[in-house]
Amino acid sequence: MFTLPETRFDFSGDEYIYAEISRNMSAESNFKALAITNELRNRSIPGIIDICPSNASYLIRFNPEIISAHDLLDYLKEIDVTKSNPSELNLKIRIVEIPIWYDDPITREYSERYKNRHPCPELSNFEFIMKTNNFKDKEELIISHSSTPYLISMMGFTPGTAWEFPLGISPEQIIQTPKYLSPRPDTPKQAVGLGGAFTVIYSVPGPGSYQLIGLSAVPVFDPERKLEDLKDMLFLAKPGDIWKHRPIGENEYNRIVSQVNRGTYRYHMKEVEFSPEEYFAKGKEYINQIMEGF
Amino acid sequence: MLKVLDTGLNTTIQDMGRNGLYHLGVPPSGAADKYSFQLGNLLLGNPVHYAGLEMTLLGAAIEFRKKTVIAVTGAPMDVYLNHGKIPMWENVKVEEGDVLSFKSAQSGVRTYLCVSGGILVPEMLGSKSTYSLNQFGAYIGKKLVNGTELGLGEPLPGVFKQVGKRIPPTYTPQFGDRVDIRVVMGLSSYRLSDEGIKAFLNTEWRVSAESNRVACRYKGATISYKKFEPPFGAGSGSSNVVDIAYPIGVLMVPNSEEIIMLLNDATTGGGFVTVGTAISPDLDKVSQSRPNSTTRFIAVTVDQAITARLEKKKKLLKLTELLDGRPI
Repeated sequence: MFTLPETRFDFSGDEYIYAEISRNMSAESNFKALAITNELRNRSIPGIIDICPSNASYLIRFNPEIISAHDLLDYLKEIDVTKSNPSELNLKIRIVEIPIWYDDPITREYSERYKNRHPCPELSNFEFIMKTNNFKDKEELIISHSSTPYLISMMGFTPGTAWEFPLGISPEQIIQTPKYLSPRPDTPKQAVGLGGAFTVIYSVPGPGSYQLIGLSAVPVFDPERKLEDLKDMLFLAKPGDIWKHRPIGENEYNRIVSQVNRGTYRYHMKEVEFSPEEYFAKGKEYINQIMEGF
Repeated sequence: MLKVLDTGLNTTIQDMGRNGLYHLGVPPSGAADKYSFQLGNLLLGNPVHYAGLEMTLLGAAIEFRKKTVIAVTGAPMDVYLNHGKIPMWENVKVEEGDVLSFKSAQSGVRTYLCVSGGILVPEMLGSKSTYSLNQFGAYIGKKLVNGTELGLGEPLPGVFKQVGKRIPPTYTPQFGDRVDIRVVMGLSSYRLSDEGIKAFLNTEWRVSAESNRVACRYKGATISYKKFEPPFGAGSGSSNVVDIAYPIGVLMVPNSEEIIMLLNDATTGGGFVTVGTAISPDLDKVSQSRPNSTTRFIAVTVDQAITARLEKKKKLLKLTELLDGRPI
């Protein structure tokens, strides 16, 4: 078991309550956010519009004409104290493989285009991460980034974009990077970005502040419902799922993209039972166990 | 049916937006100035969520292929039906073959065209609204292009008797070059220095040209951060926090020279320091703020925010009663 400090609550405008579980990121805080928001969702309270579990926090949007802001705050505080035990949270999750073309020409071009917003304009985003994390060569960064499984710790930003947080490694082994000084107005679709301790795959073109290190060959959002695996949901990510990145070269990238365009691509994935409690007890050993054969 | 002859600068289909999908990264979208938009539908006797067109700064030209009734609201533009000028905030009859055209907005940013029976396009995830960052929403999303044809609903029974009905001027919004926006302070404002908070509240901020339906950017003062050990996972920049879900109306401080407020087409989460959240009844004014106009942020409590919200709602209800319209 583990303990977390008390959640801090804040009103935001007239229709949001923000709950900060911790200021630091940890898998513990994330599973607490998931446990509480699952509980709240199951209760179907009138007046609640959105329930958003986030990395180490959660956000509730409500209609203050239907439910009193102060009553809702008291109610949330009560759930936070009594229903926040992630050890009760066993999840049926999917492990999904994401093929990535690292240090590709498109994201390199974006590095160049928006260098005036970057803390280190003379380096590409990829080189900047190598430098700030003491990687000697390109391969070392690629191996480090792709050998670790990642927990989907939050969804958002644009439809289907997900935050990925590394599992089974110690905080000092996690690649960390600052964000852009001012967000880029544009980011290529399916770009792989790093910010803080997180990886994201941008679902659609749009603004962005993460450092770009590659391109995912597969979409994380399918509004046209072309792909069998995304038919029901449109979105690939689900909080609690695990993603694993696989480095690929230009040829394989092009081959997969054409399968996606034809609608024939099937994601490499498997379903497993995931127990946060076992993960906290056994750490990397547990992750290795559930990743076995993948 | 209507045919878009000229889309103007940026014309999209909007309704009251899509809700309940924020946790998946789907922002609400919908009309940026909901007050003006709703007034158009109320005037026509449409349900307020019926889809209309939102034009940005430079209006469109539209040919009607059906006799119906329209209402134009929002930022003031000169509006012509064929060659004759017609009033805004008033129900106007159009005949089959009529061409409606708009000049540029004299003040404000967004002008609305509502049509009796609404614009008929398929819904995406529960709304007809266009989401600007992606190819989805109304017209499977992109900006409308010249030549686009859109279906129109059947003119509602009795609507031709409503021609000439108008919104009393006391209910039409003002579109000035200076607005006050009320903000509930909080979120990660503890990361800013006292001088930073003072600078935030005491500055006339200038709206930057890089503003759109996703966000409004402001410049004007320097906001300093506190010396702070960045939390694990946030990234080492002084404006970096562990990424959160952002409320609509949130004010981010990504660097000390700029603040960014997220709007209806927001990126729904991210990892920058946030100083507080604009109250929802003031977001219409934000959306109508032109580049180079100025904004002051006024700190209010959540109770004051809710009072302001209810006052705005009462105004709409009173207007509905006055117009003998349908309930909201």
